[in-house]
Amino acid sequence: MSTSAIFEPLRFRNLTVKNRIFRSSTGGRWDNYDGSGTQTRINWDLKTARGGVGAIISSHAPVHPRGRLLPGYALIDRDDRTPFWRELVRRVHEHDCKYILQLAHAGRERIIGGFEYPKGLSSTDKPEPLNGFECERLTIAGIKEVVAAFAAGARRAREAGADGVELAGANGVLFTQFLSSGINDRKDEYGGSLENRARFALEVVRAVREEVGSDYFLGFKISIQERLSEILPWLRRGNAADESIQVCKWLEEAGVDCIHVSVGGEFPHPRNPAGEFPTRDMVKTYDSLISSGLYTFRNYLIFRTWPLSAIWKWHWEKPSRKGVEGINLPDSRAVKQAVGIPVLCTGGFQTASVIAGAIESGACDGVTIARPLIANPDLVRWFERGHECAPRPCTYCNKCLFSFVENPLGCYDERRFDSREEMIDQILSVYREAA
Amino acid sequence: MTDTSIIFEPLRLRTLEVKNRVFRSSLAGRFNNYDGTGTPTHVNWDLTFARGGVGAIISSNAPVHPRGLIVPNYAHIDRDETIPFWRELVQRVHEHDCKYIVQLAFSGRQRDLGGIQFEKGWSSTDKPEPIHGLQCERMTVAEIRQLVDAFAQGARRARAAGADGIEIHGCNGYLITQFLSPAINDRKDEYGGSPENRARFALEIVRAVRAEVGSDYHLQFKITAVDYGNDLFFWRPKGTGLAESIQVCKWLQEAGVDALHVSSGSSFPHPRNPAGDFPIEDVVRGYDTMISSGRHTFRNYLIFRTWPFNQLFRWLWRRPSRGRIEGINLADCRAVKAAVSIPVVCTGGFQTASVVADAIARGDCDGVTIGRPLIANPNLVELWRAGHDRPPRPCTYSNKCLINQLENPLGCYEESRFDSREEMVREILSVFDPPQFV
Repeated sequence: MSTSAIFEPLRFRNLTVKNRIFRSSTGGRWDNYDGSGTQTRINWDLKTARGGVGAIISSHAPVHPRGRLLPGYALIDRDDRTPFWRELVRRVHEHDCKYILQLAHAGRERIIGGFEYPKGLSSTDKPEPLNGFECERLTIAGIKEVVAAFAAGARRAREAGADGVELAGANGVLFTQFLSSGINDRKDEYGGSLENRARFALEVVRAVREEVGSDYFLGFKISIQERLSEILPWLRRGNAADESIQVCKWLEEAGVDCIHVSVGGEFPHPRNPAGEFPTRDMVKTYDSLISSGLYTFRNYLIFRTWPLSAIWKWHWEKPSRKGVEGINLPDSRAVKQAVGIPVLCTGGFQTASVIAGAIESGACDGVTIARPLIANPDLVRWFERGHECAPRPCTYCNKCLFSFVENPLGCYDERRFDSREEMIDQILSVYREAA
Repeated sequence: MTDTSIIFEPLRLRTLEVKNRVFRSSLAGRFNNYDGTGTPTHVNWDLTFARGGVGAIISSNAPVHPRGLIVPNYAHIDRDETIPFWRELVQRVHEHDCKYIVQLAFSGRQRDLGGIQFEKGWSSTDKPEPIHGLQCERMTVAEIRQLVDAFAQGARRARAAGADGIEIHGCNGYLITQFLSPAINDRKDEYGGSPENRARFALEIVRAVRAEVGSDYHLQFKITAVDYGNDLFFWRPKGTGLAESIQVCKWLQEAGVDALHVSSGSSFPHPRNPAGDFPIEDVVRGYDTMISSGRHTFRNYLIFRTWPFNQLFRWLWRRPSRGRIEGINLADCRAVKAAVSIPVVCTGGFQTASVVADAIARGDCDGVTIGRPLIANPNLVELWRAGHDRPPRPCTYSNKCLINQLENPLGCYEESRFDSREEMVREILSVFDPPQFV
């Protein structure tokens, strides 16, 4: 099968990307606790830029320190952050790769809140259900401040020379907390009907547009199905596809240039990142989260106690048992049929024919990749040489996911390496500044 | 009122002169990269104290081998590529007329967070560390030789970087203590048994360092004068006593050490070092990270979060230092000083000018090294110079700094010392200014 579709440029309204492969937002705790950026983050992003992806979507960049998921990520909350991002963008551009800054606000989804703000902000004042991260309900004035913070973040991204911004609207962070019928319990104009729940997202889109003008790429990442009840069966399931697709249409009208399709009203979610629940690795690093939430100690006990851990693992892995790669393609196809702007899809992509097939069949216009690029930053080079897949593909073991809380982000699946030493060397290579 | 001018008199060491009697003791947060490469934040951190007027800075523990880290994110001196970082740091500190001494370290089995590279630490023994149950492997003689050379190479790198001297970290339960202490060292070979045998490793390091850097370079040794091994758990052996340590100090002097640095305790932390409170709330928040580190950490975590066990533990912890935190090691230090002819510096909660001046004048020590009180008041020396006997907002010995550094930036977390929580947060985060990219 021809995979040439992967290498055709993707034309957005204000941006052309050289191929159909985007690095999805990934990034370890490379930066300083206060949110200032480091050389290590630059090294990290350069790995995939060199590997041939068309564009990189940055690690989630909080627009306010209270909106951080955990410390150690570069923020875009102040003008004095801009020089770091400018340097990062400049270095990535040297590899003919575009750079899209992901603007984020965690809301209550703060896995390690840090010492500055004891509680996050959310649409609700109910704690996040899986870990029990506590939060305060945003006031209307508070909402306006967050909207303004997103607009200011977009301005800084443009000033730094980034090729566009993506709003992190999926996976349970603040946008989801407003959009979701399973989370948002407000009685004011930001809660209740779908129009009201979408108000916050649309206000941010309009504020960003007003700030950066119409000639700048603006994407929106959204969980088409929230499937909250797949995490804990007693939760309400949250938004279904028809509601999210309606939101996508409104986003398009408000000036969004691209929809990025994901899944799950929480992060992590059994479908994102889909795959294994690495119990042993979880026990090693989840301990750091015990002080973060009301239910984290309970969870820790479950994860370390057989047979509870085995039951949890079985439960967690169930939704992705039928296959990981392309798990979101049906949702993406539905979105694409409803909107006129390009659609990107995430979900375990690493096989050339699967990607090319998805593009040609109209399920998406391009794919975004996280874990398989951690395993093989040069994945696109393999595709270019005609390989269907990298010789040592990502196993979806998800060890990378939780290791990063305490250890450097990287591939921790020893089976993919000749030796443990080789694996460690590969993980620590991020600190060696590339020439 | 005591004349405190003696604090500001230069301290003449054999090959080095320090402008006053105040050293910043070894301390630093997790400001560096996981692989041990240094960062601009670490430079910012040390500069705070250089600006504040201390005569010399003893660096954060700098592992001479990656297996010897205590927690990740400290700057190593384990390979030649680390030299440029140390050179830059030393040069910046020198701009403030402040000397810089690199502390060469190896954790042994006392690895609070061992990291991904080596599953177990190295030690004289194969028995786990008793508080957290941190596991280790017994070093072979070949591995001991390898590590002796690693210390010598670390010293060479420090000198190549322009540092004014080195300190060998021989105390507080880290590897050298694990050899020196009869309560830990259970070897049957020439590195265990008699005091001579237990001191062999330390003395071999000193000689190897001297052979590598020559005789014209400052070399000091930090030692636990008394192990106090049964301070916390009364059923444990006491470990090294004062008489034996003094003998070791004499041997160290003969082997070419230029100064001694007196501390206490056969573990870190220890009720006497850093002496003071056991901040339960902060411990529960920070210790969770360590649960996966050892065999007893989960048990400890349950104790720390459960009343009344946590209060009992706190009572036990505070008992040895009750009423005498500042200068807690002075009596031991005086005994060491009486037995050797090289200068001796002492650590232990110093922050009162008259206490420091009296200790020097009495001949307890020749200078003091300070950790926590300088975190609280980096400009402590300037405050003393301005006539304060104690800073207006002294260190409270709450030890919140200690436990917070596992998960958060090192700094003073004692809110009662600040006008507001915001001020405290600002102060803590100021270490990241200026940012690297401007």
